[in-house]
Amino acid sequence: MIRDVVLELYSMFAGDSRMSLSALAVVGVSAVVALGVSPMAGGAFLLVGSLVVLVTSILTAARGKN
Amino acid sequence: MTAAALPAILSAFLASFVEVVEALTVVLAVVSLRGWRPAIAGTFASLATLAAIVLALGPLLSRVPLGALQVTIGVLLLLFGLGWLRKASLRAAGVIALHDEDAILASTTAELGAEVASRKTSQDWIAGMTAYNAVLLEGLEVVFIVIAVGAGRGLLLPAGIGAAGACVVVLTLGAILQKPLSRVPQNTLKFIVGVMLSTFGVFWTGEGLGVTWPGGDLALLAIGLLFLGAAVATSVAARRMATV
Repeated sequence: MIRDVVLELYSMFAGDSRMSLSALAVVGVSAVVALGVSPMAGGAFLLVGSLVVLVTSILTAARGKN
Repeated sequence: MTAAALPAILSAFLASFVEVVEALTVVLAVVSLRGWRPAIAGTFASLATLAAIVLALGPLLSRVPLGALQVTIGVLLLLFGLGWLRKASLRAAGVIALHDEDAILASTTAELGAEVASRKTSQDWIAGMTAYNAVLLEGLEVVFIVIAVGAGRGLLLPAGIGAAGACVVVLTLGAILQKPLSRVPQNTLKFIVGVMLSTFGVFWTGEGLGVTWPGGDLALLAIGLLFLGAAVATSVAARRMATV
């Protein structure tokens, strides 16, 4: 049962590991920009980066299916 | 209760609704094989476990500084929300199959039936554990959603009310109908919830990093519309790609 719980938790946050790693990378760069350049620039990068990660992940999956 | 509580209540309600519908299907499979007793025992044991998890985690949350809490929860929400939105978009595009509660009921009943038949003793125990497992796994997601949408702004109570409301509605419908709620537009709900969770994720991660969003809480609406527009447009494009 513990294995099921661990698998469930993993799939909650990293069901698609490539997308999750990309999102984490976006958050990391956003943090650097927000703290080093300006918070607004960091926020803008976070928003645009998250949208790009989403769109890319969906299209990659659709292309893989085709 | 402020106007800021409304998105927390709504997102907790919708997300919990989807999760409880999925748990209900497995519990109904248990009912169809072994009756209500093991199903109710497994469900209540699981709810007690979830309550213990909430009681253990709750006091810890108040000790975490708000900025760190917002970033941690924001990132987890972003990962969780993007995952839901991706899956819902792919289902809407026909790239992956839609969630079918009737088919899941049939397969769960068959699997559980085979397992129960292979063990002559403690059949109610196996059935009860199946209900326990299903409610615990789906419930973990509900607990996370309540904490995630509530903790960053001190909205745990409204989020909890939203989740509890979903439980009451789904369980009442399930008890009346005694069959899976297969007509619930689950993918549409997941799509909406994915947009909301991704929006909260970006908003709170940003706030935790020191971003002052233009328009304050109204920025939630703008971010949500961007996620919705991007997901819908990409889903349409994915459908075209998949059918070419």
